[in-house]
Amino acid sequence: MKKKVKIVAGITWAFVCLILIIILFPGLNSFSASTAKLPFMKINPNYTGGEVANQIVAESCTLDIRKPVFDGLFKERKNGFVQLDWRGNLPGKIVDSIDFDHDKKIDFCIFIDRKQLKTTIDQFNKNVKNIIISTPTSYGWSVRVGLRK
Amino acid sequence: MTDSFILGLSSGSACLVTCGMVMFPYLMAGSAGVKRIAIDLSLFLFTRFVIYFILATMAWYFGQAIFSNPLVRNFVPGILYIVFAVMLVWYSISNSRNPKCPAEIVKTVNDKRLVPIFLGVVNSLGFCPALFIILTKGATQGTLLQSYLAFLAFFVGSSLWFLPLPLAGQIQKKEVLKTVGILATGLAGIIFMIKGLTNLIGGIING
Amino acid sequence: MDNTLLSSSLNKSFGKSLLYTLPMFLITFMFMTGGRLNFSDPYSLLATLIAFLLVNILYFMMHYSGKTDRYRVVLFIIFAMSLSFTLIKNMIAIRSSMSFSQADVLECKIPFCHLVIPMMIIPAAFTKSIIFPGSILNGFANISSMVVLWLVATIVLGRGFCSWGCFYGGWDDGFSRIRKRPVIKHINEISRWMPFAVLFMVALTAALTLVPTYCDWICPFKTVTEFEQVTSLESASKAAIFISLFGGLVVVLPILTRKRTQCSFLCPLGAINSLSNKVTPFTVKVDREVCNECFKCVEVCPLYALSREDIRAGKVSIFCSKCGKCVDACTKNAIHYGIKGVPAGHLKNFSRNLFLFVSFLFLAIFSAGAIISSFQSLLKLVF
Repeated sequence: MKKKVKIVAGITWAFVCLILIIILFPGLNSFSASTAKLPFMKINPNYTGGEVANQIVAESCTLDIRKPVFDGLFKERKNGFVQLDWRGNLPGKIVDSIDFDHDKKIDFCIFIDRKQLKTTIDQFNKNVKNIIISTPTSYGWSVRVGLRK
Repeated sequence: MTDSFILGLSSGSACLVTCGMVMFPYLMAGSAGVKRIAIDLSLFLFTRFVIYFILATMAWYFGQAIFSNPLVRNFVPGILYIVFAVMLVWYSISNSRNPKCPAEIVKTVNDKRLVPIFLGVVNSLGFCPALFIILTKGATQGTLLQSYLAFLAFFVGSSLWFLPLPLAGQIQKKEVLKTVGILATGLAGIIFMIKGLTNLIGGIING
Repeated sequence: MDNTLLSSSLNKSFGKSLLYTLPMFLITFMFMTGGRLNFSDPYSLLATLIAFLLVNILYFMMHYSGKTDRYRVVLFIIFAMSLSFTLIKNMIAIRSSMSFSQADVLECKIPFCHLVIPMMIIPAAFTKSIIFPGSILNGFANISSMVVLWLVATIVLGRGFCSWGCFYGGWDDGFSRIRKRPVIKHINEISRWMPFAVLFMVALTAALTLVPTYCDWICPFKTVTEFEQVTSLESASKAAIFISLFGGLVVVLPILTRKRTQCSFLCPLGAINSLSNKVTPFTVKVDREVCNECFKCVEVCPLYALSREDIRAGKVSIFCSKCGKCVDACTKNAIHYGIKGVPAGHLKNFSRNLFLFVSFLFLAIFSAGAIISSFQSLLKLVF
């Protein structure tokens, strides 16, 4: 009897799997959309650069200053970064003063020479470290500046 | 700290299966339920913690004396990492290895109340390549606190495996756990080999 | 005589094989053409027809000849090569290079592959986010669809995913068939557990650093897909590691051992798939009553999944990817596809037919896009 139950259970499970495979591809878009709604299905801020905290609009372009990212597995790390994104029609040389912590004091000044691919910063906040990334992007230019807590 | 934790965690699994089976009967001998087991295990882990604390202090002070010379500081830690990492990798791939827990010696202890402490001492001082690596790390840290943190991460990583020790008798795939642990230790060795090479190259560049 | 009779027990007559192929024919037609043929683009039409005929002829031959691995591997290798070809072609068209830049990472434009899955589990649980610079739902190889595809495939096929779904496995499977006899015959038994150690280490390091360390530092298949632009000593070291591991574990060692060494000793997803072998209903069984212990199955197994002890005990290990190589090699038909719960030696044909339909359907549809695209490019190149 137990043997028969095992056989029936095994074959039933095999047929369920057969159905799963048959419906997988026609239903893929719908399954993927449902999966994308799961709470953990968002890209970590270490990759996205974090949420936009402040947007400065100029004549031909905008500057997005994102929230500083210190994300670790359990708690925030000692070292992080702040990401700046320039969008739109950018000038050849970019000079901006950045206050990323909203204390109404300039934390650093950034100078970008887009033609020479050269980026430098002047730090006014002891927690500002160095430039981690400075690169042209499809929408303009992005910079990540290293921070410590 | 991350690499110390990884080293502890990877070597801890092999350590548990090699030594855990020896310790288990002694830790459990004469025990009267979960409370007794918890006390014995806590004593065992506390002893390990104390020993690592002492080792961290000693490693750092010896490190200060040995690595005060810039030439030595630039080259020796990298070389030591590479040597111990090679030992660690060799330990994991060697066919002839027959790891025996130093805690076998526990059979000579008469007073059963002292057994967890004795086991903690023997287990911490069972000089394996992983411990040599962490000693090197402790010796090359900038401050004593950093040395403590490195040993603490190693202690936490390796101790995690001992927490389910009371259930050790229930683990069915001991050989599998041991094999995976030993291989993971070898991989940790490779990470430290890369670290050693980086240190050495950095040392050469710096002078 | 006896052997011939037994080995032929899995094959079928021409008409019966055609009948078994009919459902595959209809389903693959629907998926490959979307129900109607596009006559406006002759290259696309021709490529679709070639791919369609290829998969159905292979499936028909599996039934007609009774051999599984011989025909599976053809599609499996074509899939691996097509995917790399299509991916590289697209990247060169878009970026003029096989490498991705820092900007691609910042804009989360990196195609996701299933090998990232072992590393994203712990961070997903603790940080409620994915540690990969890809797209969640939109674009080519987005994270959601790849996770769904892998999840269903691993539940249904277990480690069968590694021989019927993985678009990398075809590389070392292909190279492992170049020599007729192995040069290296013996490898330490404990090495079989290496993927679990790799899984342990990459899952741990990825969780602690929030970086997919396997992709970042180890993955040999970066060599035939895409890799970080070489701009520093670190990125150059990574490229050197990718190429060395590809050369060693995907090309040289498979040729020398006739085994899939990358899949056997390195792949962390293979370890997870091995565990899901416990869930899948499909398995490979050893009929001890028929087995004559010739151990040809042990010799040919490409993943070190079989040992003499396993065969004597009448079981296969969790490393089995159900490729069918041992089933093809067994002259006594003692090792066969089975369904869990059904005793060994029973319902051999039924189990094989059901498994082949499920696994081949997955492979055929999953591979269709890449194969059609690469055939199309080749046709344009030739004509």
